[in-house]
Amino acid sequence: MSIALASFVVLTIAGALLSVTLRNILHAIFGLGVSLLGVAGMFLYLGSPFLAAMEVLIYVGGISVAMVFAVMLSQALGTRDIPHEPGRMVAAAIPSFGLFGVLAWIIHGATFPGSPNREPAAWSPAAMGHALLTDFNLVFETLSIVLLLAIAGAILIAKREERT
Amino acid sequence: MNLHGFVLLSSLLFCMGIYAVLARRNLIGMLIGVELMLNAASLSFMAFNRFTAPDPVIGQVVVLFVIGLAAAEAAIALSIILAVYRSRRSIDVEDVTELVG
Repeated sequence: MSIALASFVVLTIAGALLSVTLRNILHAIFGLGVSLLGVAGMFLYLGSPFLAAMEVLIYVGGISVAMVFAVMLSQALGTRDIPHEPGRMVAAAIPSFGLFGVLAWIIHGATFPGSPNREPAAWSPAAMGHALLTDFNLVFETLSIVLLLAIAGAILIAKREERT
Repeated sequence: MNLHGFVLLSSLLFCMGIYAVLARRNLIGMLIGVELMLNAASLSFMAFNRFTAPDPVIGQVVVLFVIGLAAAEAAIALSIILAVYRSRRSIDVEDVTELVG
């Protein structure tokens, strides 16, 4: 395992840990950003620089920043002190870590057959763009309509409450 | 790092997301957990795409779709959170009980 990949793994896990444990929600959002950067680095390692760039642009540059704006626009949103209840944390930790144990046990015993294709031409962004506009055109169109409706809906929901 | 390592890391991320959704009382904290789970799924798709898929385009298209849907979901969720905050001055999930039967 190369040093770069190891650092991306550490970045991913550490960022995720920060984002689920920190009490200040603004700090948790920065933890999420760090974790997403690590995931983008792993996309790079897994052979898709285009998706790594999209991950950084949309997640780190879009979603995280939108969350930070939502927190800052409504001052008390993140800083209001919601008490941590130990009982709730234990009750949440048992199913989540139990599920991880079961998954790890299954993955440990699993074999993954397959014939990987490492041809550079098949991994190029050009091949993906070609597939998006031919075989997977429905995915492309659906995504565009969903995004349009989501933006319109978000504006509508955020605005309606302001008038009343 | 082989496929097992990536799938294990992905399941770890997914379980942390579940933990955040269950343990947080802050709506934005729960949204962070959902984003972590979506990323775990993307990472899993990319790993299987790299190590087992005969046609690497399919996994990348799926991950692009997930990223786009996550952007839409975050926009909607943030606007709903802002609306909830405006109407009740709180984003504690325990306070939002209008739809409880």
